[in-house]
Amino acid sequence: MALKRINKEMRELERDPPGQCSVGPIANDPFHCQATIIGPTGTPFEGGLFDLRIDFPDDYPFRPPKVWFTTKIFHPNISDRGSICLDILSQNWSPTLSISKVLLIICALLTDPNPDDPWRKDIAELYVNDREKYESTAREWTAQFATA
Amino acid sequence: MATAGPSSSSNSRSESSNNASGGAEGGGEDATDSSNFECNICLDTAKDAVISMCGHLFCWPCLHQWLETRPNNQTCPVCKAAISREKVIPLYGRGSGNQQDPRDKLPPRPPGQRTEPEPQNGFMPGFGFGDGGGFQFHFGIGAFPFGIFTTFNNWGGGAAVPPAPGTQQYQEERFLSQVLMAMALLFLLWLILV
Repeated sequence: MALKRINKEMRELERDPPGQCSVGPIANDPFHCQATIIGPTGTPFEGGLFDLRIDFPDDYPFRPPKVWFTTKIFHPNISDRGSICLDILSQNWSPTLSISKVLLIICALLTDPNPDDPWRKDIAELYVNDREKYESTAREWTAQFATA
Repeated sequence: MATAGPSSSSNSRSESSNNASGGAEGGGEDATDSSNFECNICLDTAKDAVISMCGHLFCWPCLHQWLETRPNNQTCPVCKAAISREKVIPLYGRGSGNQQDPRDKLPPRPPGQRTEPEPQNGFMPGFGFGDGGGFQFHFGIGAFPFGIFTTFNNWGGGAAVPPAPGTQQYQEERFLSQVLMAMALLFLLWLILV
């Protein structure tokens, strides 16, 4: 069931690839994937390529996939180790969500951080109180870690 | 790819119509229509299909597993409406008769609910109290005095033969109807003015 559904999603991604990200299995194991998100334009992440890991549970899609950044990123809702603070990846998961929808939502999170529910309070405070500093630091991190 | 999607559906639709006009068996038709009947969880054509009260289609095994995953927070995966085993309706297509009874499989699919239609008087004499037998209920909102008077007027039932003109009964009835008419007019006036 899980494998069939993952393969179906992969076929759909091949046929209709989303503009701002790409996904592919690691070592031909569909349960472990790598994804890349292009930093959304108009954000401090513009020009960066951010890698993520996606691990599907055995009972996917009944439980959410584990998704985390492997590229360092300066963002209030993303931890030092790349964990993403996103409700749809935990208690608000729905089996109708697909990996392409999840990546799209992560892109939206990059554009609009949610400082009310932060992983990193320091970045959230900076985002609220000193937007310029937040943007310049995030831009520096993007240049340092997310550009080839 | 055999599966249909928004991008390929127009192609396969024209193919299938060509096939049909050429007399060939339309293998593409399934692919065209199936995306409308895909389970929202496994994304395949729904098997042992059930539909939620909010109108979303699932395979029963898929939905069952989702409900088991969150027994305390059972919501529709599509719209988050409340959902439960008792509140889904199984869909029986024409082809399902050839297959094994889905309820024999695990997990058992909830049974359909069947409500008897309302019996209709007049069309089904066997259920009525005799044809034209006058056993009728009337529910209505009437103006109080007329309701009473019309009821009393009709009390006689079949014996309501008009009396011959000139008799005392004729006079009385005429007087009564005039009084009633006056009351009706007064009441109408009261309704209009107040």
